[in-house]
Amino acid sequence: MTESKRQLAMVMDLNKCIGCQTCTIACKRLWTRDEGMEYMWWNSVNTQPGRGTPRDWEDMGGGFREGNAVPGKLPTRKDFGDAWEFNHEEVFFGGKGDKVHLKVKGEEPEWGPNWDEDQGAGEYPNAYYFYLPRICNHCTHPACLEACPRKAIVKREEDGIVLIDEDRCRGYRFCMEACPYKKIYFNHVEKVSQKCIFCFPRVEQGVANACARQCPGRVRFLGYRDDKNAPIWKLVDKWKVAIPLHPEYGTDANVFYVPPLAPPRFDENGEIDESNPRIPNEYLVSLFGPKVLESLEILKGEMAKTRAGGKSELLDLLIAYRWKDMFGGFDRDPATIEWKKA
Amino acid sequence: MRARTISSTEFDRLMDPSAATWKQAGAERVKLEGSPLGMQPTALIRAAWQDRKIGAIDRVQIAALHDGERLAFRLEWSDPTENRGNADNVDFPDGVAVLLPAVQGAPIVTMGAPGNAVNAWYWRADDDTNVRHVVAEGIGTSRTVSVEAGLARGAWKEGRWQVVIARALRVETVDPVAQLQAGETTGIGVAIWDGGSGERAGIKSISGLQWRKLSLDALPTARR
Ligand code: SF4
Ligand code: SF4
Repeated sequence: MTESKRQLAMVMDLNKCIGCQTCTIACKRLWTRDEGMEYMWWNSVNTQPGRGTPRDWEDMGGGFREGNAVPGKLPTRKDFGDAWEFNHEEVFFGGKGDKVHLKVKGEEPEWGPNWDEDQGAGEYPNAYYFYLPRICNHCTHPACLEACPRKAIVKREEDGIVLIDEDRCRGYRFCMEACPYKKIYFNHVEKVSQKCIFCFPRVEQGVANACARQCPGRVRFLGYRDDKNAPIWKLVDKWKVAIPLHPEYGTDANVFYVPPLAPPRFDENGEIDESNPRIPNEYLVSLFGPKVLESLEILKGEMAKTRAGGKSELLDLLIAYRWKDMFGGFDRDPATIEWKKA
Repeated sequence: MRARTISSTEFDRLMDPSAATWKQAGAERVKLEGSPLGMQPTALIRAAWQDRKIGAIDRVQIAALHDGERLAFRLEWSDPTENRGNADNVDFPDGVAVLLPAVQGAPIVTMGAPGNAVNAWYWRADDDTNVRHVVAEGIGTSRTVSVEAGLARGAWKEGRWQVVIARALRVETVDPVAQLQAGETTGIGVAIWDGGSGERAGIKSISGLQWRKLSLDALPTARR
């Protein structure tokens, strides 16, 4: 397998994500508007705990166990939530706007990409949830690439971005079975597999990914893994607070998460109870592995430090006072570039 | 197997898989077997299929006719489900390919080798009037080449696929496709994919790990 010389990576701070889906729409408008792409959300944001997108993707297999490929399931379009068609013509142009209401055409949907939004878990007054934005992880050990019998998937040497060569792809979908994060989509019109391209045409021009640049929550940091001036290295390697999702999948993901801290619990008397976390540790460990607990401790320690009047490089970094500092040098304004469609 | 000759006027009718002319061909029954698991090119495919049966279709009837200019194959096999689509992520189309060596001696087991290409005439149920010409020089190297005058027609009736695939014996191209002529003997292999069983790529039924013989009858002297 070819190893990349450098690796672009992203860190998402789950304490700041407000679930607004601006990232999702930024990506949709830029990359997945063609025919056959209607149901694709290369960027998705789901409520956790929840079944995710595609539905129950964490039970679909794929990835590696002890270095061996694990078979996986193919998610259906319905599992992804599909693309609903609405009766826009009827409501807006059919002269029946006062009688007909906007609704999904055909069969009543029973699932959608955000069907269980904001449900979460736990009981009042200790209910909890948080948002989990996901893109392709541009893995160091990409299960999708290794599964393809046609060598149609490449990992770029210069920046580690994982791309599907649509001219070589025959739509066999072994990549879709293999990806444990279920971030491959099949285009049933073009008959090829498609996925997040890490906005490579932007990144090549020094512009941050659309999901990162458009994020109003300042959730997403970008940069090369090994760039000691970029936030990725500081958050992942120096401060060790950003960790990958499901490290046990064995693909060495290059999207890292700052895990969510929740407000404290209330006890039966309505008093603040700091003895147990509101989001159960086991749940966070099931998502991020045991390192999540260390990461939370580091965050808490730094917060205590600033509360006592001290300064914290880590918290300053996470607060992202200066928006452009989040992008590891990829901070060029896209409006300064004349974009051409290939 | 033998490709008998027929007149050019009769040949024109062959694109209809149910044409009576096909009766003259003398169809041969060929047993198929699953392509070996160990030959699958990636660990994921091997892991996914180690406990699944490869090769859902176990026999095919194959007939061939030529008119000195063009060669047509007719393949018929039983398949209770007609899988034409890619509409959902879990749907795969049925398909069939006739494999010929582009270079005599090219290995069939590995789908050719560098400099020793094999040429598949490939039909798939999601595009049933086209034949795709594929050349390969080893597993995973196959690429589609454009070849003029390739034709196909497929129909599914009462649990059976009937597919006709035809092409000119000789074609103008720089790509390594099979170039044929009346009177010659070459190799042939057949592969069938049952989409309903998730078969695609190297997961297929094949006519064996060795070339079968294909002899094209010489033209009758009067027509040479
Ligand atoms: S997340 Fe999935 S699609 Fe993306 S590189 Fe990793 S294995 Fe491939
Ligand atoms: S745009 Fe930012 S805040 Fe909004 S859902 Fe996406 S990651 Fe979260």
